[in-house]
Amino acid sequence: MTHPRTFRFGVQVNTAASAAEWRAKARRIEDLGYSTLFMPDHFDNTPLAPMVAIAFAAEATTTLRVGHLVLGNDYKHPAIVAKEAATIDLLSDGRLELGLGAGWMQVDYDQLGLPYDSAGTRIERLEEAVAVVKGCFADGPFDFAGAHYRITGYDAQPAPVQQPHPPLVIGGGGPKILRLAGRHADIVGINPNLRAGAITADAATDTLAEVTRRKLGWIREGAGDRFDDLELQIRYFVAAITDDARGLAEVLAPGFGVAPDEALQSAVACIGTVDEVCDLLVQRREEWGVSYCVFGEDDVEAFAPVVARLAGT
Amino acid sequence: MTVSNPNRRFRFGVIMPRAASGAEARERAVRAEALGYSTLYVPDHFVDHPLGPIPTVAAVAAWTTTLNVGTLVLGNDYRHPVVLAKEAATVDLLSEGRFEFGIGAGWMTVDYEKAGLPLDRPGVRIDRLRESVQVLRGLWGEGPFTLHGEHYTVTELDGDPMPHRPGGPKLVIGGGGPKVLTFAAQQADIVGINANLKGGSANDPSTAPSMNPVSTDDKLRWVREAAGDRYADIEIQALVGFLMVTDDARAIAEGMAGVFQATPDEVLDSPVGLVGTVDEIVESLERRRERWDMTYHVIPVEQMDAFAPVVDRLAGR
Repeated sequence: MTHPRTFRFGVQVNTAASAAEWRAKARRIEDLGYSTLFMPDHFDNTPLAPMVAIAFAAEATTTLRVGHLVLGNDYKHPAIVAKEAATIDLLSDGRLELGLGAGWMQVDYDQLGLPYDSAGTRIERLEEAVAVVKGCFADGPFDFAGAHYRITGYDAQPAPVQQPHPPLVIGGGGPKILRLAGRHADIVGINPNLRAGAITADAATDTLAEVTRRKLGWIREGAGDRFDDLELQIRYFVAAITDDARGLAEVLAPGFGVAPDEALQSAVACIGTVDEVCDLLVQRREEWGVSYCVFGEDDVEAFAPVVARLAGT
Repeated sequence: MTVSNPNRRFRFGVIMPRAASGAEARERAVRAEALGYSTLYVPDHFVDHPLGPIPTVAAVAAWTTTLNVGTLVLGNDYRHPVVLAKEAATVDLLSEGRFEFGIGAGWMTVDYEKAGLPLDRPGVRIDRLRESVQVLRGLWGEGPFTLHGEHYTVTELDGDPMPHRPGGPKLVIGGGGPKVLTFAAQQADIVGINANLKGGSANDPSTAPSMNPVSTDDKLRWVREAAGDRYADIEIQALVGFLMVTDDARAIAEGMAGVFQATPDEVLDSPVGLVGTVDEIVESLERRRERWDMTYHVIPVEQMDAFAPVVDRLAGR
């Protein structure tokens, strides 16, 4: 019998130098049994535009799902996002996972000349954007009058193939965003808190096991009855297949500002032999309910044996 | 006979605002390529134009190998130019230089109303388009780019990825009024000769007469004057919204004369219409090239089969 929280795996990829390389990457990820190719959305250090690159990747593959991890809500109007998302879902015959985030990387805002509002305002705007996006995905015209967006009698097209809409991925690290994700998302990413506007030691210490349990509490608060229907996701930023986990932890720990043992317990760390990693992922599924594991593209090959063993179980 | 300036040779595009499924869209793209069309374009509106242009052109590029893909045109006000620059460069990279980036000032009132976007007066929208093109070009070029403009502030941003085509994809700018056409003539690689849409709707009574041959003469005069020396480097494009391969062009033209507020002959030579037998259409297209240098015609994708004999006769010539 399969577990109610079936394992699946994703890869977050952010670039390729050519069309041939991008196609090859997408196909390799598909062939290795990963479920989903995700792309981030930044202007600094993230070359390919996600809406374009995932649309292309979907058409270069046949079963691979594609998604954003995640779109910065402030970079595009949600009515446009919904239209583009529904288009990808239509053209890929229902393979999109739409990732939305409040936006956090301050350098993006600075370079674009966008106001970097308080986290509270960005999150409030995201919640409105989620309502707009869902309104667009639903049948018939809708109105929305919020503090940030105003929609009047808009019957958005095309209709997505996945009904009622492609799964929404919302991730975060703070209480407000995780409650919001619990209320609205289908897939909730448990992330470091990026309140500093950049990746700092503060983000690293925010990933320890104890903090993670607190985050699960916030998701539960937001989700209420629908908690069991949510898929919980972690993006493993620190991942390695090694028979010397302890040795690697000693190297990595100073970057986290924690002791080596604590580094190994970080929610975004996944380090060990294939057996150890499989045990760890099973254990986290039991403890936290996390079944959707996302790796960086450098880890795709190394973690393929883990995917082969756990995906679909 | 082939004309010596490649920008004065005929080529043809199809425009695809909708598709019932991914399979249908893919079939059409592959068929357009096989029939000798040069480009598949996707428009950008909130109403009556279901497909989102950005992901659609990416998908079409993935399905095809030589077909160009393009936007006809993106509404500048709907996305930040930094976002657009990155998306356009990504399409150009992944399509290996097959992207034609069409952008316009935005005009369809209903788009703005439905999405709650402020609809500024045309002058402001055109100024913003001008600045947007500066941002696009800046980010498609080498090195970090800064612009402290009236509408956009970009600070030390090094555009990434670099487009496949050095300097960026071909720029398509279309319009019907003197301001936009002057700007297009100065900046674009492909200038679209459109109706003047100051009425905010294609059904506004001012729209159709602005596509009469005599109005079109005015438009080309503005383009030639503004382009100066670069005029030979520009392709002149028309979007043919009304296309009918028929033995009785005359009757159709007489029926349409009222709408166009023009004589039947003028209707038959309007750049938005192509009505007649294949021979008559070929002759009319030859006249349009003679009179307006108009060589790049975009037709509705649904009619690509009916129009294929014309493409066969004229494409590349």
